Amino acid sequence: MSIPKLEFPPFHLPAEAEALRGEVRQFLKETLPGLKSEDRFSSWNTRSSEFSKALGKRGWIGITWPTQYGGSERSFLDRYVVTEELLGNGAPAGAHWVADRQSGPLLLRFGSEEQRQAILPKITAGECYFSIGMSEPDSGSDLASVRTRAEPVPGGFRVNGTKVWTSGAHHNHYCITLVRTSGQHGDRHKGLSQLLVDLKTPGVTIRPIINLAGRHDWNEVTFSDCFIPEECLIGNEGDGWLQVTSELAFERSGPERFMQNFHVLRELVRVLGRQPAGRAASILGRIVARLWTLRQMSVAVAGMMQGGKSPAIEAALVKDLGTIYQQDLPEIARVLAESDATTEDDMADFLDVAQYATMMAPSYTIQGGTTQVLRGIVARGLGLR
Amino acid sequence: MDHDTREMLLDTAGRFFAERCGKDIVNGVEKGTWPADFWKEIEEMGLPLTAVPEDKGGVGGTIADLMAVLRLAGENAVPVPLAETALANLLIAAAGGTPGPGPATIVLGNVSFDNGRLSGKVDRVPFASVADRFVAVANSGGKPVVAVVDKANAKVTATPSHAGEPYGTVAFDKATCAFSGASAVSAERALELAALARAMQMAGAADKVLATTVEYSKQRVQFGRSISTFQAIQHMLAELASCVAATIASAEAASRDADEGGLADGGSFSIAAAKTQASDFAQRICAISHQSMGAMGFTHEHILHHYTRRLWVWRRDFGSESFWGEKIGAAVAKAGPQALWPALTSSRYAA
Repeated sequence: MSIPKLEFPPFHLPAEAEALRGEVRQFLKETLPGLKSEDRFSSWNTRSSEFSKALGKRGWIGITWPTQYGGSERSFLDRYVVTEELLGNGAPAGAHWVADRQSGPLLLRFGSEEQRQAILPKITAGECYFSIGMSEPDSGSDLASVRTRAEPVPGGFRVNGTKVWTSGAHHNHYCITLVRTSGQHGDRHKGLSQLLVDLKTPGVTIRPIINLAGRHDWNEVTFSDCFIPEECLIGNEGDGWLQVTSELAFERSGPERFMQNFHVLRELVRVLGRQPAGRAASILGRIVARLWTLRQMSVAVAGMMQGGKSPAIEAALVKDLGTIYQQDLPEIARVLAESDATTEDDMADFLDVAQYATMMAPSYTIQGGTTQVLRGIVARGLGLR
Repeated sequence: MDHDTREMLLDTAGRFFAERCGKDIVNGVEKGTWPADFWKEIEEMGLPLTAVPEDKGGVGGTIADLMAVLRLAGENAVPVPLAETALANLLIAAAGGTPGPGPATIVLGNVSFDNGRLSGKVDRVPFASVADRFVAVANSGGKPVVAVVDKANAKVTATPSHAGEPYGTVAFDKATCAFSGASAVSAERALELAALARAMQMAGAADKVLATTVEYSKQRVQFGRSISTFQAIQHMLAELASCVAATIASAEAASRDADEGGLADGGSFSIAAAKTQASDFAQRICAISHQSMGAMGFTHEHILHHYTRRLWVWRRDFGSESFWGEKIGAAVAKAGPQALWPALTSSRYAA
């Protein structure tokens, strides 16, 4: 009897990465208090171009990229440490997050030399921000069904279609947009390509989609006879699907999939006081143990990626566990605080945080691959499909 | 032990358990039959001496080597006190003694050592009614002492565990000790090491539950197709795999941290977290597995219960998720909110 093993071999972040952690902590200690935070409820969803530029100055955006494009040629594990420190300390890293995590690496791997030279140094400087143009009104989990069409015309493409849930498009400079460049709607993975779209291009219209918490993160982005020059095609025509699937591995494996509402846990520790009752301490400890485990697994995935493997199944598994944890956390914390918070003042503030986290929680298991899509991937890894 | 020796040990032990520790042995122990030959073979392989130094007659392996063996034991529901004896031997050797043969168990709890004699009473001692000797880490005027008591000098009340293993209550009344020596580890630390051992056994058992369930779902045909092809089953098994992977990952990380940090206090936080995690996930693992295997998995005939019942029992052994969770939670609360993130990234209790 043998089934494919899903192992997460314990992995130590190397000494250089741990030394970098100290530098990042020091930087955050000096930088964060001076920033006005638009809210304290999320980290990689909170934008501050001032902060992104300061981080870029330290060389910590695009940290793994070649120096010729403004990178620091450090390891993927160094990047992991920077990322988790930003999350663990609630830094407003939202402006550059997507560019650093997936758009830059995509251009590095598939983009033309001109695209790299034009864009990557601006990303590493913390000045250039990206949106993801994948989902459409009729295309969510089933991404291969996108309808946005880029029709070849002399010198480029004429693009028509609509993208939705496009986070930050109203602030960002570019949107890497998945389009059909050839074939028919039913051709699935074939005939898809990605375009580097300047969001200021004539014919691009950006309208807000307000989420249930009243926040404007998302947008609807429509393309009406929008001309995109041919030099904005990323890689080869028809390679869009390959590119998208490689991006998703980056999108899923990071610590933001279990650290997104870390502030809830920290706030819970605050309101429980220094000497909670045994039962409260026990519940708190069980949450902490769960988060610790997720981090061990995520670091193990980072180790596999550094070692040249592509742990897509392992990344899907960690995102599944991580996002379910993130949904459980506000509920466990709220109930515990109701019974065991030590002061009334703290309590009002905490409940505000927990309520907000509760409202945001449904998004965790949808964005970046729904729980059901992820479980399908894990099931395939088990040899069930 | 170098890498190749370790791989060879694990390969040999894994194959031995898989071949020898069949249903007959596991069910036999539940019925009260001590598998003397099986135990003898385990001793001949030197497994109870895995982490005992060579100059004490041991194999000279590390804590991590021992824990890896115990994961394999868990994966095969090995129904003898291998973990307990190996830990007992480790404690004896670290206290200056020389381990002897025979099954032993560890007694961790309220026991005291005065004038060369051991007193106290501890419930739920694993394998109490089959152990030749009891190894306690006792309090002696504020200092930890390793004390060994032969079974003739202890009073054992058998109370088998719900997994059918011969647990019991052990009482010492000024018992004569066959050996005693200053302990290299505190009583709390001995409990941590035992908790780590159980977490690794749970990791092994969880892995076997997953393999058994996946295999069954591929073979079981209903509505004209393998039930593994139903999306409802696939998603259940994916969740099962996630819980199992988390259990293994946390136990393995704790084993590494215990090993690297040394016998006295290595991996203290990680062990607490791993045992909490293993105990917390055990129910979900058992529930999904049983649901996937239907009535077949609920029979005594099938081997699934060898693993699920152990997981349920092992949750409580050497500290439940409530116990270790409280330890972590109290430390986190005491250190305050700003110390939480540094504690998580260093896998240490805040100073």
